Amino acid sequence: MTTLTTGESVTGRAVGLPTTARPALRGRNHSGRRFRSGLTPYLFLAPGVILFAVMIIYPMVQAVQMSFFDWKIVGSATSQFLGLDNYIRAFNDPHFWLSLTNSGIYMLFTVPPQIILGLMVALLLKKKSPTQPFFRVLFYLPVVTSWVVVSLLFKYLFADSGLINFTLGDFLHLTNGDTSWLAERWTALVAICALGVWKGIGWSMMIFLAGLQSVPQELEEAATVDGANRWQRFKAVTLPAIWPAMLFVVVMLVIGGFNVFTSVLLMTGGGPGGQTDVVLTYMYQQAFSFLDFGYGSALAVILTLIVFVITVIQLRLFRDRSGESLA
Amino acid sequence: MKRSSKFGSAVAIAAALAVVATGCSATSSGDQGKPDSPVTITFWGSYGNGGNSTQQDALNKTLIPAFEKANPNITVKYVDIPYDDMLKKLTTSAAGDELPDLVRADLGWVPQFADLGVLVPLSDAMSDFKKLADATYPGSLSTNLYKGKYYGLPLDTNTRVLITDQKALDAAGMTAPPATFDDLKAMAAKLKGTGMSVFADSGLGAWNISPWIWSGGGAITNDKLTKSTGYLDSDKSVAAVQMLVDFYKEGLIPNLIIGNQGATGTSDGLPGGKYATILDGPWMQGIWSGQYPDFKPIYAPMPAGPGGSISVVGGEDIVMTASSKHQDAAMKFIRFTQTEQFQIEMVKTGQMTIIPAFADQEAGIAAYYSTFATQLKSAKARLAIPQASKVDTILSTELTPAFKGEISVKDALSKAAAQIDQLLAGN
Repeated sequence: MTTLTTGESVTGRAVGLPTTARPALRGRNHSGRRFRSGLTPYLFLAPGVILFAVMIIYPMVQAVQMSFFDWKIVGSATSQFLGLDNYIRAFNDPHFWLSLTNSGIYMLFTVPPQIILGLMVALLLKKKSPTQPFFRVLFYLPVVTSWVVVSLLFKYLFADSGLINFTLGDFLHLTNGDTSWLAERWTALVAICALGVWKGIGWSMMIFLAGLQSVPQELEEAATVDGANRWQRFKAVTLPAIWPAMLFVVVMLVIGGFNVFTSVLLMTGGGPGGQTDVVLTYMYQQAFSFLDFGYGSALAVILTLIVFVITVIQLRLFRDRSGESLA
Repeated sequence: MKRSSKFGSAVAIAAALAVVATGCSATSSGDQGKPDSPVTITFWGSYGNGGNSTQQDALNKTLIPAFEKANPNITVKYVDIPYDDMLKKLTTSAAGDELPDLVRADLGWVPQFADLGVLVPLSDAMSDFKKLADATYPGSLSTNLYKGKYYGLPLDTNTRVLITDQKALDAAGMTAPPATFDDLKAMAAKLKGTGMSVFADSGLGAWNISPWIWSGGGAITNDKLTKSTGYLDSDKSVAAVQMLVDFYKEGLIPNLIIGNQGATGTSDGLPGGKYATILDGPWMQGIWSGQYPDFKPIYAPMPAGPGGSISVVGGEDIVMTASSKHQDAAMKFIRFTQTEQFQIEMVKTGQMTIIPAFADQEAGIAAYYSTFATQLKSAKARLAIPQASKVDTILSTELTPAFKGEISVKDALSKAAAQIDQLLAGN
């Protein structure tokens, strides 16, 4: 993420510089000018591209390579080539399937609420009002807060003697107030998903707010004149206009959903008995606790492929859908 | 002008390369000089874990200066690394061939890194190894043994003993801490319905469960570390774990033990009157004196079962890396860590000595150490195999359903034993 940002800023500067340098070059010989204007932007792009290649592309390629070996991390030791053994092992590993299911559940139960609630909040905060900036900041605050901080916060909220149990038991009298949220697979997943939704709403709100700027005001007004009610206006005018934003939000959230890691690691540590492991915590355990980098890499590659396929399917579905709504 | 533009391009390329290169070049340039030229050795440890500066201060302000004074050509650079990051840091550093000269390693990591080939077997490298080794507790020393060679020396040690307090004893109507499994069962019967758990622990790994199995007369594997089936699921092992499961089912052990991260921790539950007994180490004294100044813990040996009172060895070892360029200097520092000066200075900061000959001096510094020192004489180490952390995962994964009553203890331990057999077969 940091690398990407660096790359972008470098790119930005690279585009700006040759144009400002141009007046000074006017009147110089042509081939030199072409050489300079041709090569210089690339040279300025180079740091970002090289960083991206070294920090992102190279580790990815290396991970794919490692996944075919019983990888020894120490350079002097020989790694044994295993072919597809690590992949076959994953296929036959019930704990991998459990962790993949948990990742899938997390994705399914966090993405729709983030979209629906994010969109609702964006619609509410679209109108200008004196309190609007305050609420925008309020909803966006969880997004910029560190995962570590909010994971620990939610761990305490959902602790046996935490605020959730107090509210449900002593205050609302809905339960006995003695639910061990983090001691069972399903209740622990509820807590982890709740964190995911709470932290993510602000982000989708921000994207939708940006998208809502592109909704043509005159169309809204025309629809109102035609007697369309709120829901009809939303469906026929607003939604098609923010469709690209919707595509972006859905794709990013699904990818993010499968990549859930920090919150699980900090709230349950994959426990009890590995029941709340997600793919990335399981992968992390294989690689960094058991030093089984080959198997860990195979799990990472499998997850990448799954996410890739799902993303392609989403893009296709959305392309069809957007064609339909335009027609 | 043309030249200067080329020059500009060259600068751009150089800058790009420099940016990239700095990210990759943290290699320390070792000064490979003559034996008596000044050398710097790097020592990684986690003495400062939990924001505790007293141990780091003892090392940096007293011990290292003393060593450097006695060895004017050697400079020791201590780098503190948080415990939770240490294994990851060691792993990535081993991969990048950037390990320091010396590491204060959790004893479970020694076989793991010995197996990777990044450690020097001290039993081969040090001519006086036997003399140094013989002076230490056998349980601590055994954590350094891997495939017939010792890859380190104990640095500090600890073990788990039973900790309770007067409030809990009063609640159970007892005059002394439970000394046997039967005492503990009697205590449990008295505490039933009071809301106070008879015992609490925060996991089901080898560190947690081994003392019960060993004291119950059971074992995790055979002595040769080749077989777990028939040992981990023996009648004695099953009976010991069954006792805990029975307590759990009666609500006398909290679900903290199966990994409920939302449960009250043992360090709060005992002073808070929620838990009657816990098993824990000597570091608790320091934690409680800060957080619960009025709490007066009572230390007692691990309750004895059919197998006696046997607890588990913890602590750290000091190891030397194969990539160290100054092995002689590093070994000098290792010898220094085994001296009375080093050991006693560390005792004052809460680290227990690994040399039984200093135990009396240790008890003089803080009386509660004596319970731990006595326990250490019979304490055993966990399996010294590279996959020790896998054993922890296997034990907690298989035992969790047994505690929840979904599977019998015998079946759970048999399943765990079968998986541990596979690990042992791979060594």
